[in-house]
Formats: sequence, structure tokens, C-alpha cells
Amino acid sequence: MTELGRPLVYRWDLDKTYLRTEFDRLGDLWRTVRQTAEEKQSVPGAAALLRALGGHERTARVDFISGSPTQMRKVLEEKLRLDGVRVDGFTLKPNLQNLLRGRFRALREQVGYKLPALLQARLASPPDADEVCFGDDAEADAFIYRLYADVVAGRVDGDQLTEVMTAAGAYASDVKRTVALLPQLPTPRDSVRRIFINLDRRSPTAGFDVYGPRVVPVHNYFQAALVLFEDGVLAARDLVRVGLEMVRHDGYSISRLVNSMEDLLRRGRMTTKAQERFNAQAHDVRGDLPDADAVLREFHRRVVEVAERPRGVARPDEPVDFLAILQATPLRRHRKKVKAGPLD
Amino acid sequence: MVTLALDAMGGDHAPTETLAGAADLSLDKNAPQIILVGDERRINETLAGLRHNPERLRVEHTPDVIAMDAEPRTALDTFPNASVAVAARLVAEGRAQAMVSAGNTGAVILACSRHWKRLEGVRRCALAAVLPTERRRGLKDDPFSLMLDVGATLEASPQDLVAFAVMGSAYAARISKNASPRVALLSNGTEPKKGRPEIVAAHKILLEHPALQFIGNVEGVDLPRGTADVVVTDGFTGNVVLKMLEGISETVMELGRYAYRESMLWRVGLLFLAGGIRQLRQITDWQEYGGAPILGFESLCIKAHGRSGRRAIANALRVANKAVRTDLVGTMKEGLAKARALQEQGDAAASSTDPVLEGTR
Repeated sequence: MTELGRPLVYRWDLDKTYLRTEFDRLGDLWRTVRQTAEEKQSVPGAAALLRALGGHERTARVDFISGSPTQMRKVLEEKLRLDGVRVDGFTLKPNLQNLLRGRFRALREQVGYKLPALLQARLASPPDADEVCFGDDAEADAFIYRLYADVVAGRVDGDQLTEVMTAAGAYASDVKRTVALLPQLPTPRDSVRRIFINLDRRSPTAGFDVYGPRVVPVHNYFQAALVLFEDGVLAARDLVRVGLEMVRHDGYSISRLVNSMEDLLRRGRMTTKAQERFNAQAHDVRGDLPDADAVLREFHRRVVEVAERPRGVARPDEPVDFLAILQATPLRRHRKKVKAGPLD
Repeated sequence: MVTLALDAMGGDHAPTETLAGAADLSLDKNAPQIILVGDERRINETLAGLRHNPERLRVEHTPDVIAMDAEPRTALDTFPNASVAVAARLVAEGRAQAMVSAGNTGAVILACSRHWKRLEGVRRCALAAVLPTERRRGLKDDPFSLMLDVGATLEASPQDLVAFAVMGSAYAARISKNASPRVALLSNGTEPKKGRPEIVAAHKILLEHPALQFIGNVEGVDLPRGTADVVVTDGFTGNVVLKMLEGISETVMELGRYAYRESMLWRVGLLFLAGGIRQLRQITDWQEYGGAPILGFESLCIKAHGRSGRRAIANALRVANKAVRTDLVGTMKEGLAKARALQEQGDAAASSTDPVLEGTR
């Protein structure tokens, strides 16, 4: 995915991406607001993955850009500190300010808030850094991150951006502020290499095909870790730690993790290269992994089994028509909610 | 964790509806692991458009499918790796504990009999179906009684009928949570001597069975009343009864539609009854209970209706999951062992009083 030695910057959303947050009903929202840092729960595997990414020598920054109100900063920062997660930038939404200024649409609207925040964060990052973004399927993260990727790559100019942001429902002042940031950006480069979308609502993966292959919908963070492992970002030991955290703290079984891996292989989001890399580093993980040989054998068996089957052709990274996406599916929240993952 | 094999390609609406059913169930809190057996490319394409939890799903690739109208034996001989055969094989190999198929009924039964062992004491397997009744039963207040066989074994011996009674009783106890289901033989009269010789003989054996609550014979009129919780008959009779009940149900609905079209007054009357009709439809809706269990093997297969949609498939998978979790097969084994012991005692008593045998000793 990335050239060796290039700095890496991670952009994370918070609610439903890092934190297990419910805000579909007023009661859920009220509970979320009242929760202490200790009560807040992270999405299975997210903390282990972030610790692994944050501790990597090539990691230049870990930025959080969240739609949570600025009033929650203290408790959210405390939660991230408790989880041992690195934080270099932390942007929250000025909801009270929006309310007082009568910008009611801004309370729900995401493009006009997140896109300029991402561009600001880009300005604070090393110009030669590659970026990996993490969002979820509850709102418009895939759309925003992909639009951001095209802006920093120079594929979307100021006029196009104005048109897209306006169509997405952003306030004119936000559009103007965003477009004004474009000349300050470093030389255009295709720096956003991966966009992970945590499928909190179990949205069909086909719905993300329109954003191209760099957008990877994942059903859990073990899948994200597997992709990053194949990309050469994570080591085998990091991958095992993410999996183990999910087994120890979130009730995951090895079979669920193996099924998750099989799903990635079937979707063409992972190849047998990952298995080869894993074999090369297997000696590093045996000590960490209980019943290491049995578990590794099962992973290997399934990789070989799936690899032997006929594969589809990988999708090309085609230009994204953001206006067509907005026309087809307006950016609105999906109401249908799936219960939290079962424990076995 | 329970693992089920789903014949993803079997059924009139496969793989779209079979996969949608599995996808829906995968989102359940206590979903089992489901192995989707079929063409991986089609499975992947379909799953990509469905909300699902892949942590609960696996795929076993096989490109071959048996058509709904194919001759089962020839089709299975020609396609030994057809999805239904592979699903049965996965169960035989212990990689899954039960299977579900909405495919060609003959092929499903044949695949099971080719790959699975029969339970000790079972000569022929039985296909069971649930019938909506007036009476409610069990912890779940279940409105259904179970009838078996409805088509797997056209001619049943007294021993077959006894085995069906034991298996049906175990199924009702485990799946309907009915601790002591009332078992009856379907006959042309309630008297013990009424019916064909095999019914009379089975009646005699069942009366002695210590673990069954055998209530004797029931007639056709008792089926909708729900006099018995488990109705035992041969596959020929059972199939005729089942099809007749389906026909009546369809005719009643058609009459309702006719009444709605014909007269404004009837239309108003039907509108008043709409809530009740909806409830009645829900009770009698076969998609609610998923499918018919094939009983008699050391593993369980739920044969879903060929026309099954996603709801019926999800419910069939739920029933299979429940059957495995509650050890239905183990309960059937125990019941059959008791029936065997009873039969042996009867045989021993008969031989000890037989003057001819006495003379040969």
C-alpha cells in the first residue's frame, strides 16, 4: 500500500468507529452524554489496533475528528487516555455554537464540518505522509473521506468542490471556508491510501463499491488489521494482539475471526500474500498465542481452501462522481439498527 | 457453537432467498455458524447486497446444483458434488451438526440416506410436517401438531410406525417444549381394532411404551381439532392429508378474495374481520415454522418448502439450531432404545409361551 519509510497519518472518526455509541433514540443520546470515561466502551479490537498503529515508528500522527460536541472533550480524551491510545489531534463539533447561531442544519450535516476539519488536519501533517482513514456506515464517512482523498490528490478543484458540498447540504460559509483551504494544501498527491468503514449497521458492502477499492468496508477491526498487515503496516504480532483482545474482552471465538478472514479473501480485499507474510513472522507470535499451532493451522487451511477457488477480477480505481452519488442516495442516516454482536 | 450446513442453491428462489434467510439469521444475537454450500461467485455477489454478519457465515464452494424437477437418483449419481450432497457430507464429516435445504425433496432425502447413518431401530425415515390446530400446547402455547410421515415412506410397517411415534414425540418435546406430547395413530376409527393390520399392530406396541403418552387412534376430523400433538401415519396417507389441508387453505383464501370482489357488503364484513384473518394467516403461514424435519438419521435435516422465502429459510435454520442445541437426536435415540427393549421383552414373552418353541428347547 505504502512506500517503505513514508510517514503515516491516521484519521479516525469517534462515535461508532472507535466508540460503541448509540444515538438513534433520544434516550440513547442522553445516556451517551452522561457516560463517564470508564463507562464508555470501544468497538471490539479498535483500541488494540490503534495502540499498534500509534506505536509504529512510521506513524506521524493520529488525529480524531468527531461529530461529538466540544463539551464532551474532557470525557472523550480521558477515555482515549485510559485505553492507552495515542492522540495528536482532536477535533470536536461546535454544536452549541451552531445552535446559538441558528445553524440548525449543521447539527446533523457532516460534509460541511468534517471536510474542512480533515483539510486542516492535513495542513498539520507532514506533506509527504500517506493517510489511512477510519469511519463508519452510520453517516457519510465513506463519501467524505473519498471526497477528501480526491481533493488532496487534486482530482477535485474548487468549483467542483463547491458544487458537491452545496449539493450535500453544507452551509455556504462552510463551503467558502473549505475552498479557501485548497491553495494552502501541499502539492497534490494521492496520499489517502485506505479508507476503512466499520459496518456498525451491517450495511451491504456493495453499497461502498461506488467509492472504489481504496474504501474497505470491514465488519470488525480484525479485518482492518488483516488488510493493514498485508499492506505491510502492521506486524504479525500486532495482528495477533488485535485478535486476542477481541477474544479476551469481547467474546469473539477463533472461528469468528477465521470467518472474518475468509470474508475478506472472498471479497478480494486480502490475498494469500498475507499468509506468506504471516508464515515468515509466525515465530514472533507463537509465544503470544495460546494453542498457537492449532490456530495457525486453521487460518492456513482456510486461506488455502479459499485461494483455490476461482477469483473475480479486482475492481479498478475509477473516478468517483460525487454528484451522482448524492442524487442516487442523499446523505441521510440509516435508521435500521442491528443489535450488538453476539458473544459465544 | 452450533454449525449448520445450508444448501444455498436448493429451492425455487435460490440462491437469493436462501442467502437472504441465512444473512438475516446471521444478525441474530445467538446465531449459529452457517456454512453456505453452493457457487461461491454467486454467493459472494448476493451477500454483497445483503446486511449480514460474515463472522457467522462460511462458504463451501461447489458449482453443481440439482434442479427442482430432476429425478433424484439420476441427478445425485450425475452430480455427486451437488450442493445438497456436499451439505449432507459436511454433516457426515462432523463439520456441521445439521443441514437445511429447500431443494428437490427426493434428492434431499436421498442425499441424507447416502451420507448419514440411520438411528438404531429405524428402518425408514420420516418427513414430518406441522399442522395448525384449534388447541394450543406446550410451554410456547404452540398451535401446531406434528404429523409424520408425510411422504418419505409410502408403506410403513408396525415397527416403522412405532419409530415414527417415538421420533415425533421427541421432536415435539424438544422443539415445541411440550414435555409430554399426546401421540396418536391416524386411522378410520378410534377403536384399537380399527384400521389396517399394521395400524392395529402398532397400536398394540405403542400402548405398552413406557415413555410415550399414547392416546390411541384419531380420525381425520381430529387433525384440525388438535386432539393429538403427534399424529403418526404412513407417508402415502400423510402426504394425501397434507396436500388436502393445503388445498383447503388455498380454497378458503380464494373464497375470501371472491367475496371481496363480488359484494360491497361482504367486502365491509371482510374488512371488519381483517385483524382476525391476519392472525389466522400468521398462524397457518408455513413460512413461520420454516420446514419439515426429516427424522430417522443420526443427524437432522430440515427440509424447507421449495417456495421458501428468506423468512422461511431463517426459521428453518432456527429450528435446526434449536434441534442441535436441545439434542433432539439424543432424545430420539433414548426413545428408540426403550421401544427396542419393549419389543424384545414382548418377543421373549411370546416365545416363552409358544408351545412349538417350548418343544424345541
